[in-house]
Amino acid sequence: MEYFFQQLINGITLGSVYALIALGYTMVYGIIQLINFAHGEFFAAGGYVGVIFMSYLLSQGAPAWVCLSGSLILAMAYCAMLAMAVEKVAYKPLRNSSRLSVLLSALGMSIFLQNGLMLTQGVYDKAYPTELTQGGFEFGNVMLSYMQLFIISLTAFLLVALNFLVFKTRMGKAMRSTAQDKIMSALVGINSNRIISMTFAIGAGLAAAAGIMVGLYYGSVRYDMGFVPGIKAFAAAVLGGIGNITGAMIGGFIIGMVEIFAAGYISGEYKDVFAFVILIGVLYFRPSGIMGENVDDTRV
Amino acid sequence: MKRLIMTVLLAAAILMLGSGMVFAKTLKLGTMGPLTGPYAADGNDIKNGVLTAVEVVKENGGIPGFDSIEVLPQDTACEPRQAVATANKLINEGANGVVGAYCSSATLPASEVLDEESIIMITPASTNEKVTSRGLPYMFRMCGRDDDQGAIALKFMQEKLGAKSVYIVDDKTAYSQGLADGVEKMAKAAGIKVLGHEHVNQGDKDFSAILTKVKTDNPDVFYMSMQNSATGALMLIQAKRMGIKAVRLAQDAVYHPQLIEIAKDAAEDVYLTFGFIDDNAPAYKEFYAKYQPKYGNPGAYSGYAYDSAIAYLKAVKAAGSTDPEKVKAELMKLDYDGATKHIKFKANGDSGSNYIIRKVEGGKFINYWNPATGKLY
Repeated sequence: MEYFFQQLINGITLGSVYALIALGYTMVYGIIQLINFAHGEFFAAGGYVGVIFMSYLLSQGAPAWVCLSGSLILAMAYCAMLAMAVEKVAYKPLRNSSRLSVLLSALGMSIFLQNGLMLTQGVYDKAYPTELTQGGFEFGNVMLSYMQLFIISLTAFLLVALNFLVFKTRMGKAMRSTAQDKIMSALVGINSNRIISMTFAIGAGLAAAAGIMVGLYYGSVRYDMGFVPGIKAFAAAVLGGIGNITGAMIGGFIIGMVEIFAAGYISGEYKDVFAFVILIGVLYFRPSGIMGENVDDTRV
Repeated sequence: MKRLIMTVLLAAAILMLGSGMVFAKTLKLGTMGPLTGPYAADGNDIKNGVLTAVEVVKENGGIPGFDSIEVLPQDTACEPRQAVATANKLINEGANGVVGAYCSSATLPASEVLDEESIIMITPASTNEKVTSRGLPYMFRMCGRDDDQGAIALKFMQEKLGAKSVYIVDDKTAYSQGLADGVEKMAKAAGIKVLGHEHVNQGDKDFSAILTKVKTDNPDVFYMSMQNSATGALMLIQAKRMGIKAVRLAQDAVYHPQLIEIAKDAAEDVYLTFGFIDDNAPAYKEFYAKYQPKYGNPGAYSGYAYDSAIAYLKAVKAAGSTDPEKVKAELMKLDYDGATKHIKFKANGDSGSNYIIRKVEGGKFINYWNPATGKLY
């Protein structure tokens, strides 16, 4: 039983990370029907901004909570701006072109950003100051490290904050209406360009937070770290029903859990296979994903 | 008319360029290794080791008959296909000898191509047995072999640690899994209980599920066979956080300064099988003094790459030409103390294994246990 609980904690931690990244995919898709393949790179960039700023603060003798929150805020702000810039350069000019060209533009942007990271930051792993995150609680043989607790609680906080933003504020209302119908909402006075920019910024901010948490949790970041979690988070978003925020969270947790339990009870080699088998299974029986609505294809 | 003059001038320029080439004889030494991707650290170590060796040789008067020595670094990305492409590129560029590659899976196909053109290849890092067992005439190896390495790991577990059980994890490369399978087989034969042998995927960052298994099974020894030191570091950090008490034993690909930089105190007291290096040997000191200020602390294979390049250049100097037959004959005659080991090639191209147990202590790798004598250093 202890073994099960330990794996459960591991699964929730990994699922939190996937959920945060998946939100960016789903929000962008929800609003402009684009799979933003450059999203994983915002995650990696966030990890890098975090490690650079955190090491600097630490060398200045700042206390741990200042290092953590300071670098978190800076990385989120940086990636939000980066995402807005990417949107302006790579997606906005193509907004009225076919979906394929935007998709290709996204892939190109992903390669560009990844190589940019490699050229500016080097090919070596960059080590996070892990001394901030030692220790944890022990219940019998079950270990809940402070870092896991930090990841889970920060994710919970961000999810609640995002839900509040989307469902309780004027901006959230504007976002939802733009997602529903861009032209009509523009007619009633919503600046849809601004809303799209904000959606990119929020998604990238969440990915940046995930990047820092992953860096702290695992101890290092590397320029190509965005690719695999990006794919997994994309799968999570699709699993939950792409375009649906609650679905992305649920999908993220499911993918994380399946991965950990498959590795823990079946085989570490095939854990990714199980995650994707679940994805295929769900899509087979429910093509719109777990929380997705069955959208009529003829909708313009 | 103008056109004619231009043509004549151009032709003259080309002729001059060509004749210049005839007089300036350049010795071209290729290097192969992953300069990008997950194993970039090791590939760059190899390149830097060779560059250092060339610098040292140049300072000591170069090689008579050659105006300069040029290093041609190539990126194999640890992929068999790209390795073959870079081998062909080196052939086209006229490389006389090659130091590399890193991953055995890249070295094996590349060496076939180079061998056809009679180009001498010395690998500083590929430990797979097949590298030298295929009988290629121009293939040499500076580092040790996997079968020897596995045996030393087992001997250490038995004799020094008195281990009764072991849990093995590898990351499924030709090298890491081959080594781990060897250790598993030998451990079983020696009566050590193998509680589990798990594989992780390359590029994985989360090992919590596997490590939870290790913790639950509570083995005496946790044997990590990873292709990449950065991955090894991540595993060590997570193992520490998880509270795993088992003795951690790893191998030569995990051996890298990066391991300690990333894992920090989680790397403390890790044991590794690696070739014996005498920090106080004059040749090592000479290498270190040249290497360290420029490239930082030497990586796992910097020293072997340095020795490979020096050995090749020594042989060329003695032969007085780059003719592969003559150079090979001189290579076989070499018998001297290099920076990392005593250099004396065997008939099959191996230079012999000298694995010992090294340990991380106080944020440094130290020589720990000598398998030949069973004593601590």
